[in-house]
Amino acid sequence: MRKMIEKYAVKLLRDRSAAPGRVGFAAQDDRMVEGGAPDLSRLAADVLSRLSCLGMVAAAPSLPFPELLVRRSPAGSSALVPLDTETRTFLHDIPFLRRGELGADPAGKIAALLSNRKGAIAEGIGIFGAGTVTLEQAYIHYSSVHHAAYVKYLMDVLQDGFLLPEEEEAFQAFREEHLTAPSAEGLHFRPGPLEEPGEILAEIAAIGRYTVERGLVDSCFGNISYRAGGTIYISQTAAALDELAGCVDPVPDDNRSTAGITASSELPAHRRIYEATGARAILHGHPKFAVAMSMLCGEEGCPVKDCWKDCPRVRMLGDTPVVAGEIGAGGLAASVRRVIGASGKAVVYGHGVFTVGREGFEEAFRAMAGVEAMCREEYFRRLDARRRAGPGQSKSE
Amino acid sequence: MLVVDLTSGRMRRVEIPPELLSAYLGGRGLGVRMLRGPHRLSPFDPAMPLIFATGPLCGTPAPTSARLSVVSRSPLTGTAYDCSAGGRFAFRLRAAGLFAIRIEGKSARPVALAVTSAGEEILPADALWGKTVGQAVRALSGRGSVAAIGPAGENGVLFSNIMMGEGNAVGRGGLGAVMGAKNLKAVVLDGDLPTPIADRERFDRARADVMRLFRASPVIFGELGISEYGTPALVDLMHQRRMAPTSNFRRTVFDGSGAYSGPAIRAAYGAEKEGCFGCPIRCKKRASDGRPLPEYETVSHFGALNDISDLHAIVRSNDACNDFGMDTISAAATLSAWGESRGRFPSPDEVVPLLADIAFRRGEGDLLAQGSRRMAEALGRPELSMSVKSLELPAYDPRGAYGMALAYCTSNRGGCHLRAYPVSHEILRKPIASDRFSFSGKARMIKIAEDVNAAVDSLVACKFAFFGASLEEYAELLAGVTGERHVPQGLKEIGERICLTERFYNAENGFIRADDDLPARFFREPGSEGDGIEVPPIDRARFGEELTKYYRIRGLSDDGSFPDPAFLDKQP
Repeated sequence: MRKMIEKYAVKLLRDRSAAPGRVGFAAQDDRMVEGGAPDLSRLAADVLSRLSCLGMVAAAPSLPFPELLVRRSPAGSSALVPLDTETRTFLHDIPFLRRGELGADPAGKIAALLSNRKGAIAEGIGIFGAGTVTLEQAYIHYSSVHHAAYVKYLMDVLQDGFLLPEEEEAFQAFREEHLTAPSAEGLHFRPGPLEEPGEILAEIAAIGRYTVERGLVDSCFGNISYRAGGTIYISQTAAALDELAGCVDPVPDDNRSTAGITASSELPAHRRIYEATGARAILHGHPKFAVAMSMLCGEEGCPVKDCWKDCPRVRMLGDTPVVAGEIGAGGLAASVRRVIGASGKAVVYGHGVFTVGREGFEEAFRAMAGVEAMCREEYFRRLDARRRAGPGQSKSE
Repeated sequence: MLVVDLTSGRMRRVEIPPELLSAYLGGRGLGVRMLRGPHRLSPFDPAMPLIFATGPLCGTPAPTSARLSVVSRSPLTGTAYDCSAGGRFAFRLRAAGLFAIRIEGKSARPVALAVTSAGEEILPADALWGKTVGQAVRALSGRGSVAAIGPAGENGVLFSNIMMGEGNAVGRGGLGAVMGAKNLKAVVLDGDLPTPIADRERFDRARADVMRLFRASPVIFGELGISEYGTPALVDLMHQRRMAPTSNFRRTVFDGSGAYSGPAIRAAYGAEKEGCFGCPIRCKKRASDGRPLPEYETVSHFGALNDISDLHAIVRSNDACNDFGMDTISAAATLSAWGESRGRFPSPDEVVPLLADIAFRRGEGDLLAQGSRRMAEALGRPELSMSVKSLELPAYDPRGAYGMALAYCTSNRGGCHLRAYPVSHEILRKPIASDRFSFSGKARMIKIAEDVNAAVDSLVACKFAFFGASLEEYAELLAGVTGERHVPQGLKEIGERICLTERFYNAENGFIRADDDLPARFFREPGSEGDGIEVPPIDRARFGEELTKYYRIRGLSDDGSFPDPAFLDKQP
């Protein structure tokens, strides 16, 4: 347990989702084990002791977005409802407690929220992630809440502007100090085509790590594959992209073996993309600006309500098509297949980016970094235009 | 609830106290609660109840919830026993206006119980006694959905099943023999009463959430998942992980397993999709001639465990077990232990005749009908029974998954994979992967999973649903049906009450820590290493340490006993 706590403490700081020194863990074996910041780990343990769960992460996020979202929420509301795929599919919503609601027994209040949800936000404290099975699961739920809040805040600010006095300054600091340019500079890629399984597995592990390190995906989301010799080598479901050694399934094209039942839920999408493009490498990440921008639609009077699955249009973010479709067997595979051939990249509404490499991963990686850079640039262009236009300009372009 | 006394022939419909439904939900939980009192009786005592209990979701479009639990005391294990089963029977039970049926007593002559929404009657079944399950189902199917026993149940085979007419089984613990001891050949149900849903909008939203998660799960709706290939989709995976029990668990890899993999079965039999009532997953597979095709456990145990790679022979074995009304896992494992004792596993052609001998208790079949533990003891080779609490272990070698090793032992109904189902995270990576070769944290994981699954068995939903969804969504479905607030934590607490109640019954029937143990083979002999995977024997000291942790987490004494002898009196 202690090793796990140390491991995920490092990951939360490395992915810059938690503030240094403000991470607490608790895990229940036959005894409670705590680690990290004493006040947070004690609180995490207190919450955990009231739940039938194994692990708990309590951390202050590195960015104030979750807290600002709580404060921006209308009086009487008790949950954030982000529209990105992760939240919609796995979290449903993110319950929160305002500072004044924590009362004399904050652990009891937080435990009550987590009795029904995987993650929650407590104003003035941070994000709580619960793991029923493992501590890693608690870390993933923390990451999911962090990701959802990040994307929602980007969208809300673009649509509604700054509502609180300190927001503009905080956002400026985020823009100037927190963000780093998505790029492939300084990374080493094996030139394709790759044929040897050992070489393919090593390259997949390296690219997965790069994708996390460059902020194109949070550790446990996204997937990656390479096709050679009638076999798709694809990351397993629920695999951390920065820990892919031993977590890649070889899946034969002809389904003569079902050992790949543990492959990523996006195996159908990878298969359809290979069929459509003849590419050898596929990268799928959840870069936050691309996810946010994919959900901004200027269509007036559109009758479609569940845009993420029902929108029939192909919109464009620069030269990258945006399509709808739910994950796994939910239709994403068919919609991406339809559009990815032209540019080798596609964005799925509220979900993430698929890119391909004709020979190796470098092309796919550079394409994904390029999509995110373009979306970021476009986001700030629209935000700056909105601010110049002043209050009342609420609709994105 | 319909209460039936077969001794007197009296039947009455009674209200189930609402507080019991709140405290135990339905299904397994309700059945276990109703077992309080008679739990010390012999399984074949006429006063021992046989309880068919649906859950609160049954009869609604809640995915995978057209199920019930059958509860009694197992003649094979001596433990409190329940088994969840799908098909159409449970749905018809609700449509007949009932939540549960409690059957007691013993009829003087063979009978069948027929229930509709208009009433119930006891039918003479002398003409059906001795008939196979298929024959009995065909004779009664005009009256509705049938659950019947075959010759194995009539003849007291300790691992005899109650079979649903659609091919689903109330399996493993020998409840077919409990039914047979009551001279009850079949129960047939029909009706058309709807199940009300209090908050339709909430229910529909939760249902959409569940379906989205099913579609996101590679195990459920993936191109290599169980909807496509049925549970035999696991054959290749267990082979690759080197944990397919082979030759009575002497090895963990069987080179011939490709003959009965999911793709091989599809190629040979067509494997059309078939499902329980209203189930979107439809993991059951049916041959083009209508025969139900075998599940993973069945192909692996009639295959690798007996060194057989003849798919057609395996399918015939499955057919025979279904028709005689016998559990495939226990039957195949008992044959395997017997095969090791005599130095030769049965040949493909010998299996079906042996199964017939077991069902009719002829020749050596009479000994085999008692299951592997009693058989091996009678032969003076008790170490050859690969069972826990007399229940034969299924097709996940515990040396390849340490949570599974622990869960086989803590399971209240004996060596069962489904109580905690750690295969979900140790092998299938759902909801998250855990280290299969580590005991770290497993005691807590197993305890939580047992509680969750006890709640799932009481709702009653299919465990396969939880390869995608979680109690979060099913709590919402329940809230939609009842109009009351339900949260996962509350359901887990109900599950905990159920698990502890079962364990208390077992303790009162003499089960102690020594019964929570694996066969010695797993601590002494390695599995089959290769492909960079080592499969060492399980470290007994570490296993014992984790078992003690499990007891502490459960609030038990280190010897597994209850520190509070009045535990049961404090339960609702």
